Amino acid sequence: MNLSFFDQFASPCLLGIPLILLSLLFPTLLLPALDKRWLPNRLSALQLWLLNQITKQLMMPLDKKGHKWAMILTSLMILLLTTNLLGLLPYTFTPTTQLSMNMALAFPLWLATLLTGLRTQPSATLGHLLPEGTPTPLIPALILIETTSLLIRPLALGVRLTANLTAGHLLIQLISTATLALLPLMPTVSILTSSILLLLTILELAVAMIQAYVFVLLLSLYLQENI
Amino acid sequence: MLSRLVLRAAPAALRSLPPPLAVGVLHATRALHTTQQPLAPLPPLPEKGGEVRHGLIPEELFKFLYPKTGVTGPYMLGTGLVLYLLSKEIYVINHETVAAICILSVIIYGVKKYGAAVAAFADKLNEEKVAVALAVKNKAIQTLETAIEEEKKEQWRVEGRGYLFDAKRNNVAMLLESNYRERLLLVYNEVKKRLDYQVAMQLLRRQKEQEHMIQWVEKNVVQSITPQQQKESIAKCILDLKALSKSAQAAV
Repeated sequence: MNLSFFDQFASPCLLGIPLILLSLLFPTLLLPALDKRWLPNRLSALQLWLLNQITKQLMMPLDKKGHKWAMILTSLMILLLTTNLLGLLPYTFTPTTQLSMNMALAFPLWLATLLTGLRTQPSATLGHLLPEGTPTPLIPALILIETTSLLIRPLALGVRLTANLTAGHLLIQLISTATLALLPLMPTVSILTSSILLLLTILELAVAMIQAYVFVLLLSLYLQENI
Repeated sequence: MLSRLVLRAAPAALRSLPPPLAVGVLHATRALHTTQQPLAPLPPLPEKGGEVRHGLIPEELFKFLYPKTGVTGPYMLGTGLVLYLLSKEIYVINHETVAAICILSVIIYGVKKYGAAVAAFADKLNEEKVAVALAVKNKAIQTLETAIEEEKKEQWRVEGRGYLFDAKRNNVAMLLESNYRERLLLVYNEVKKRLDYQVAMQLLRRQKEQEHMIQWVEKNVVQSITPQQQKESIAKCILDLKALSKSAQAAV
């Protein structure tokens, strides 16, 4: 089939049934079921180790109240990691390239942190809007700026993830098209382009993992401020 | 009643299957909730996974095709399939193919390079768990063995108790003996003191008597010396002295 560049970003649909939910749930099928055994097989052992590391890393700066968020943050991390990494395979659809999906993840979680902060320690949360040690004439302007930066956080979270992944995928498509197009014309340049593509693929692997981590890390930071 | 039959037969039936199938059947039948899950003993995990060739294709396919098509059979099948898909344009080569080649080469490189290391790491995680438990068990055994040693030592000490009592008994006997001898000595000394006193008294008496007698005799003798006798004795003494002096001068 002949693909245009943006077919990979089209939300999958089969006979009119949207498959986005299936594409979100699919990675869980790949993760091994948590064995009730004490000594699991290698895959389960690695998965358990990875989960432990992620949870420790995320929960270390938080105090005991923040540990209530451990489950959701760890599962969010695993979701983003798996969907991003699976999206690098050919002909796959990456749900996190859809802005709607990322906003749906970022906005409620950010709002939850903000409301937690406003509920439990309102004056401290509002106090974050003014950094310490600002000279007095700057205070009104700075409050406005800080409020804007606070309100733009969910947008930033969602758009960061979308933009990174979409840009990466698009670049891969473009450079591979260039490679294919140059192959009959100038094979040497084609090989050069394919080496660029190889490096780009490695970069995309890294970006996929880093973006997932950054998303969850920023959420945990907002939580730290507000809890 | 039938369910009870199934319940009793289930572990044996599970054990008869090869391990990968047994685990699969266990998980599959659990979802149906038709019988109680045969919980114990859990079928053991298979030692290694199913054999695959080239990381993807199970060995069973090769074994299946070997009698009819020999060693190259499955490869011919694969090549034929690929060529069919390509020539009929069922699979179209487009930019995704190039991207696919790239990502697959990266993945295969990664797996070949780090696969063994990751597997060793996973094994190490498991071994550490086992090592911790074993350490606990060994420590407990060690503690108990030390306790046994201590107990044996205590029992040996108890045997020596007899010697201890003998020694103590000897000590006490010696103390009594020495005490008795001290008192004996004391008695002897006291008696000797008394007897010495008596002897001293007697000696003193005799001495006094002697002195008294001597004095009486002297007094009487002095009284009896008349003046005439005195003059005569003095003259004799002078004559004796002169004689002696003459003999002395002659000797010199």
